[in-house]
Amino acid sequence: MAYLPCGVYHERYRQEHAWWQTRFVRAKMGLLAALLLVFPLTTNPYLVSVANIVGYTILSALGVQLLIGVCGQITLGHAAFIAVGGYATAIGMLQYGLPYPVSLLVGAVLAGLWSVLFGLPSARVKGFYLIMTTMAAQFVTVDFIITQYVSRIGGRGHYFSLPPGTVTIGPWVIDSDLKAYYLMIALVVGSIAALANLLRTRVGRAWVAIRDNDIAAQTMGVNIVRYKLLAFFVAGVLGGIAGAFWISSLYFVSPEHFTLGWSLWLVGVVLIGGIGSLQGVVFGSLFVTLTLEALGFAVSGLRDLFPTLPDKFLYVKEGAFGLAIVFFLLYEPRGLAYRWQQMKNYFNLWPFAY
Amino acid sequence: MDTSGEILLEAVDLHMAFGGVHALRGVSLRIRQGEIFSLIGPNGAGKTVCLNCISGLYRPRSGRIVYAGEDITRLRPHQRAARGIARTFQRIELFGGMTVLDNIRLGRHLHMRSGLLAAAIYAGPSAREEVAHREFIEREIIDLLEITPIRHKIVEMLPYGLQKRVELARALALNPRLILLDEPMAGLNLEEVEDMARFIVDINEEPRWRVNCLLAEHDMGVVMDLSHRVAVLNFGEKIAEGTPAEVQATPEVIQAYLGEAEGLYASRR
Repeated sequence: MAYLPCGVYHERYRQEHAWWQTRFVRAKMGLLAALLLVFPLTTNPYLVSVANIVGYTILSALGVQLLIGVCGQITLGHAAFIAVGGYATAIGMLQYGLPYPVSLLVGAVLAGLWSVLFGLPSARVKGFYLIMTTMAAQFVTVDFIITQYVSRIGGRGHYFSLPPGTVTIGPWVIDSDLKAYYLMIALVVGSIAALANLLRTRVGRAWVAIRDNDIAAQTMGVNIVRYKLLAFFVAGVLGGIAGAFWISSLYFVSPEHFTLGWSLWLVGVVLIGGIGSLQGVVFGSLFVTLTLEALGFAVSGLRDLFPTLPDKFLYVKEGAFGLAIVFFLLYEPRGLAYRWQQMKNYFNLWPFAY
Repeated sequence: MDTSGEILLEAVDLHMAFGGVHALRGVSLRIRQGEIFSLIGPNGAGKTVCLNCISGLYRPRSGRIVYAGEDITRLRPHQRAARGIARTFQRIELFGGMTVLDNIRLGRHLHMRSGLLAAAIYAGPSAREEVAHREFIEREIIDLLEITPIRHKIVEMLPYGLQKRVELARALALNPRLILLDEPMAGLNLEEVEDMARFIVDINEEPRWRVNCLLAEHDMGVVMDLSHRVAVLNFGEKIAEGTPAEVQATPEVIQAYLGEAEGLYASRR
């Protein structure tokens, strides 16, 4: 909980329900928006493509955060729903000639429904047992259905590539990282806003109630099976949006992008960012992606000293990621988002300690 | 208060067993409209099991539960909540990570309408609904239970006595006709017990609420003062029922629960 400065008095409940309650905060958010819009114009294409990866990670991890952090349903198969979104969007455009926004919606809804299917066991099982069923989602969807069957549609081989200029929104052709960046910003901001709104209303409270105490939630009138499935649906939809965005920036889709490793990676992003916090998703995605890029530079810089290091980059990457999670669990188990709150409170209260 | 009115809740011949332990053996209860009805009995007598059967967390092995003329024996807990049965728990079962206000707001869940899309957009009906319910909560519940200063606090951080009060607040937010209170006084100090007793009488008698209470409680002083009628359980069987005065005079009760007659008011617990 953040502190409000002295002299801020709300006269209406609506003011207190607002996200940004003071003029200072609103100005800060305005600055942030301007920065996000101007950023790609002032920098090199490499950073824009990194930003797109961050955005993709955020979109992917939002659903994981919703399931694990908000609703308490542990999932290790989220890449499956991203894959469904990506493939459904690609097939919609390639096979049926649907415009990109329409196939994005179709892909998102399909991914949501697919997610509900694998969320059904959550009505009966919790914890470790649910992990097994979500891992089943991973293997059944990606390694079996998509690799064996979906990939055969249209005889295109194992990956579907989208010809240049197919990803269009109306007259706007998304054919560069820069344009994909703006699409990413729109999707990320939209998804976070929608989720944040859900969390401050009836639906989100029911989810948190299920996480904190499902028995009490039941006796307070929450249909827990329904709300768990709703969480799976929304998480699937967010995953589908992530998948649909991914093909717009990469122009092709292949089963190799949606491995179990990616599902675990997303759980790590949520752990590092802070469980249960939407800000945490953003911080976690930024941290993980940027650390990885920095590691890439470090490795190529050390090539002269250790000639074999670049070949082993994959191991270095995984090792660094594992180490980061361990350190966060040891020293900041509540994640970067909590650290951020602490920092803000420190400055809000300065020069006093509390 | 007129306690001869129509019957709100009737439990008929409830049986419940966990393995070889017969927690309830043919318990029947009738709670009349407008009553504060207390269940007492030694530890392990089956009071909480009985409450769990009524709120739907347990399904009795046999027997029926009729509420407001409807057989609710097979309904799920959330369906019973929708019919106006709220409850509190012996061991506090709040949503620890949420604020007091959010806990109470969750109690309004059944009275809110906004669905997934409306809530995701928030502006418009969903925001208006939030404000309307906030006003209701502030005026009717937070004021009544005197928890204004703590309403933005995280529940886990609160002292035990206040958490008990928040549980009552959350149950009230459901706008129930019947509240099941499972040991609302357990672990409270004298002052807190007096407050809680006052709140129970308030919600029972104030025309705004007129909630029926089913109380499972150990605190004899409170039970005898508050209740209109009392039932005594012992080893899953009902051994007495009646007004507090009648129950106190029943020899089986004195023997089973209170030990000796002199001990009745000797200590509060």
